[in-house]
Amino acid sequence: MVLKINQSEFEIDRDKEKCISCQVCVRQCSNDVHEYDESEGTVLSENSRCVGCHRCETLCPTGSIKIKQRVSEFKGNANWSAENMKNIYKQAETGGVILTGMGCDKPYPIYWDHILFNASQVTNPSIDPLREPMEIKTFIGRKPDKLEIKAVRESDGRILKFENNLEPQLELNIPVLFSAMSYGSISLNAVKSVAKAASEFGTFYNTGEGGLHKDLKCYKKNTIVQVASGRFGVDKDYLNSGAAVEIKIGQGAKPGIGGHLPGEKVNYDVSTTRMIPEGSDAISPAPHHDIYSIEDLAQLIYALKEATEYKKPVGVKVSAVHNVAPIASGIVRAGADFISIDGFRGGTGAAPQVIRDNVGIPIELALASVDIRLREEGIRHKVSLIVGGSIRSSADVIKAIALGADAVYIGTAALIALGCHLCQKCYTSKCNWGIATQDPYLTKRLNPEIGTRRLLNLLNAWSHEIKEMLGGAGINAIESLRGNREHLRGVGLNEKELSILGIKHAGEAW
Amino acid sequence: MENKSKLYEGKNNIFDYIIIGNSAAGLSAASSIRTIDKNGSIVVLTNENYLNYSKPLITYYLAGRIKLKDIYFKNEDFYKENNILLKKDTNILKIDYANKQVITDKNTGFAYRKLLLANGGIPIIPKIRVSESSDSPSINSERFKEHAENNADVNKNKSIPGSLDNSNFKNFTGIFTFTCLKDAEKVKDYITKNNITEAAVLGGGLIGLKSAEALLELGIKVKIIELSDRILSASFDKQASSIIENELENKGNRIYTQNTINQIFVKNGSLESFQLKSGEIIKSRLLIVAVGVIPDLSIAENSNNNIKKNEPGYLKLNRGILVDEHMQTSIKDVFAAGDVAESFNFVTGDKSNIAIWPLAVRQGDIAGANMAGGNKIYDGGYFMNSVEILNIPTISIGITNAPDDMEGNIEIMKDYKPEKRYYRKIVIHNNKIIGIILVENIDRAGIYNGLIRNKIDISNIKDNLVKEDFGIIQLPSDYKKHLVVGDGIEV
Amino acid sequence: MKKIYIKEEYCIACRLCEIYCQVKHSKSKKILKAFKNETDILSRVLVEEIGYNSFAIQCRHCEDAPCVEACISGAMQKNKNTGTVTCDEKKCVGCWMCIMACPYGVIKRDLSEKKVASKCDLCGDEEFPVCVRNCPNEALKFEDV
Repeated sequence: MVLKINQSEFEIDRDKEKCISCQVCVRQCSNDVHEYDESEGTVLSENSRCVGCHRCETLCPTGSIKIKQRVSEFKGNANWSAENMKNIYKQAETGGVILTGMGCDKPYPIYWDHILFNASQVTNPSIDPLREPMEIKTFIGRKPDKLEIKAVRESDGRILKFENNLEPQLELNIPVLFSAMSYGSISLNAVKSVAKAASEFGTFYNTGEGGLHKDLKCYKKNTIVQVASGRFGVDKDYLNSGAAVEIKIGQGAKPGIGGHLPGEKVNYDVSTTRMIPEGSDAISPAPHHDIYSIEDLAQLIYALKEATEYKKPVGVKVSAVHNVAPIASGIVRAGADFISIDGFRGGTGAAPQVIRDNVGIPIELALASVDIRLREEGIRHKVSLIVGGSIRSSADVIKAIALGADAVYIGTAALIALGCHLCQKCYTSKCNWGIATQDPYLTKRLNPEIGTRRLLNLLNAWSHEIKEMLGGAGINAIESLRGNREHLRGVGLNEKELSILGIKHAGEAW
Repeated sequence: MENKSKLYEGKNNIFDYIIIGNSAAGLSAASSIRTIDKNGSIVVLTNENYLNYSKPLITYYLAGRIKLKDIYFKNEDFYKENNILLKKDTNILKIDYANKQVITDKNTGFAYRKLLLANGGIPIIPKIRVSESSDSPSINSERFKEHAENNADVNKNKSIPGSLDNSNFKNFTGIFTFTCLKDAEKVKDYITKNNITEAAVLGGGLIGLKSAEALLELGIKVKIIELSDRILSASFDKQASSIIENELENKGNRIYTQNTINQIFVKNGSLESFQLKSGEIIKSRLLIVAVGVIPDLSIAENSNNNIKKNEPGYLKLNRGILVDEHMQTSIKDVFAAGDVAESFNFVTGDKSNIAIWPLAVRQGDIAGANMAGGNKIYDGGYFMNSVEILNIPTISIGITNAPDDMEGNIEIMKDYKPEKRYYRKIVIHNNKIIGIILVENIDRAGIYNGLIRNKIDISNIKDNLVKEDFGIIQLPSDYKKHLVVGDGIEV
Repeated sequence: MKKIYIKEEYCIACRLCEIYCQVKHSKSKKILKAFKNETDILSRVLVEEIGYNSFAIQCRHCEDAPCVEACISGAMQKNKNTGTVTCDEKKCVGCWMCIMACPYGVIKRDLSEKKVASKCDLCGDEEFPVCVRNCPNEALKFEDV
């Protein structure tokens, strides 16, 4: 077989009437799709290189470019989809694992879209968030078993005093955090945008496993530092450079899989941040080699608590897998202050496509089962739950909280706010939007000032929407909604799904 | 304006500021004074009869590219807004420094507190024998006035009766100098009235070429006679000159190098022909004498008469009026600027007279500021000019031909493409640019100018210097940062 | 007064600033018409680029503008109120003295009709210069000095 069979995924529809040959598209495409033909004075495009990132279309000053999905010419076959066939052609040619980026795009059920939120009518009044106080602040961290309150008599009267020794808490002005995206997987400008937005809004971002770049140390109060199997960039100073520590066991997009940053990407900056020699491969093993049991995990948790003098919450991040509920229970008992659960639609910079699209479970089901399990065991208050893995809108946030989450992580949504068009080519390091790349020619394209502004806008917009929805349901504080499944109803779900989610079907009253 | 003069005059009829000269340096000084001193009286004295005009524009006027009304570089409002009294047609005889008085030829006096001499330059007229063409090449002395003894002779030679000199050339028809608007008007008038299609220019320097440029635009074929081995020899090198020379000759003009006019033949006072040193006789009804310009020291020299060189009232002169870094002359409260002054040369390090417009403006500005009590320092100037001949733009700056005896390490970088009429030459002295020549693509000449002026070490960017796409991005990083980021530009 | 600030580290070399500058200084002021029907429209902003280093530079409207000093016709003037340095194209004779003087090299020869010096006018009739308004990455900013 000598023919190159793979066909282009996209076609560039260039309106000749509108094209002024200004070559903005030529200059903006890192995949060399467009080329200026000097003799003709026209711009030509090579479809096969296009990844569908829409950079050219977005910047074309006359709107002459339209990126179209190129319709496959395979004979229709319900079983052998074009994608299956193309993958086989590709693998037959290369013999390699097919890589991809971002989250699973396969048509598995999206439970968020089968869950509806409630609103007040007649019997309990709704609240107008523009006129009445509305609290969407929340706290992440271990809560006391019971409240100890003492009445004290003082000169100006009797007051109540809170007697508990409270465990360290993170204070969030919105129940949304930016999830772990390492410097390395995304550009420093992207991390800066996220970090600054978190700090200005009063929430948190997560360093991911790539260590902490020196330029980011100023956002200490809003940083969650991650400790993963590679232990890159981890030392006492690193652990104390954040407000909380997160042990990364797994990632939704690739549960059970480690990571491999090739040596050629380990430049001076990345090497100093990760504390590894320049040019060496950065390998994140699939497991933590010192964790084979809940007891081992407890050791690491307490080692980190010791290193941070019990002043910072320590959490554990796991992928949503089949046994997530008992695993979560074990994590609470190991002493974690929060658990991050990453659903199978969570994004990644690079993962084998077969893993991304076939391993793990939807976050909605994982969240509901974990929340129910911890409640049943009477330990739900000992831990905060942060869930991620495709939170796409404020509606998803509200539904997640009603299903039992304390807060949500957003990764993909944040990147989309920064310009990501989900072309899923992060692993090529040629991101035309300056996000998933370290090429200085491309990273310049993300001005962190603009990035921060856009993320702040997104958080502001979502907090308004969250408040509107809460008000409509007659709730004036986000914490009152947590685990309040009565506010949810399923549509088009079967008994089993409803029972796992712990919600009634639409049409069923109390 | 005259009738308002009383309004402007200072207390006891003393002007706070008197400026002699109504051109680049003078008017630049006037506005500079006004930014500091809002009320002091300023009078500008000029022997010409125009509101003002830009001297370099006279060639454009001759070429018909601009109208007479567009030759003013400051309009009437300038004088009104800045409260400046302009006295035209005022010939200054001399200055009485002791009594701080400017004395006119009508024997009236203007008293000053601060004085600026900005009366510019005058053309050099070389000695050339003139003969009536009916005669054999001999002297017809009757036709010439005796050369006035006290009239400063530019070549410091005694004039020979029967030769062309700077007092008598005006008596001939068809022979002109070309340094003021009156010259341009006369030439223009002469060309129209006599239907001139061919002309000769004596001198292949800047003014010669500028005049030639204007004549060419009028469709007149030009013969240029130049003493040295090439045109524009002061600012160009062989390659640059040859590009222009070839283009001129291709368009039907002639250039006679290493040559000069030995003898001029006139008939009834009108130019008929002239004979070159080489012997060739050229018929021509129009000759523009453009061998150079020197500072007009007539007022200064008159004022120095009867004063001994070491006395305090003696104004120190060399080729021009010597000034210090404040543009002040050897006499207190007397300043000089522009083509008449001799000031610090930034590139060569000594004092010289550089008669170019931008320096006149800068010197005027500095002189004005210091006259009004400010403290501005002139850090020196250097030669530069922009000439476009037959649509070939050229720019030359600084030292373009490094002298053989120059100390230090001289490097020269060249890119010469005669077929494209393109040339770029960079002269480097101890890793700093001291001169450039650009022909054809002059677009970013100023960047080199900045490198010269700021004495930037270019050792790290040598590879790029002579490239056609040389730009700010290739500059040494500190200097680039200064340009791109500095002056109100943030990192 | 306001000035254009260059943020070199965010210039992405798309050259949209140049394109919109050309449109602004075209006859039609319409992008398609300008590019399809008009020729030789000069951009007054210039993008310089080597590898990933790039920036857009236009007239800096200097305090002591060397181009104004060098101008022999009085065409190049600095407006005392706005601080803008502009070339009065009617007065300009195309002697290129300003090009010789400008250390930024941001004045161009416009040969389309009569020879005139072409330079940034800060889009005097607009709230923001078009290069600033159309920079997709805010690598140019128009802010108070």
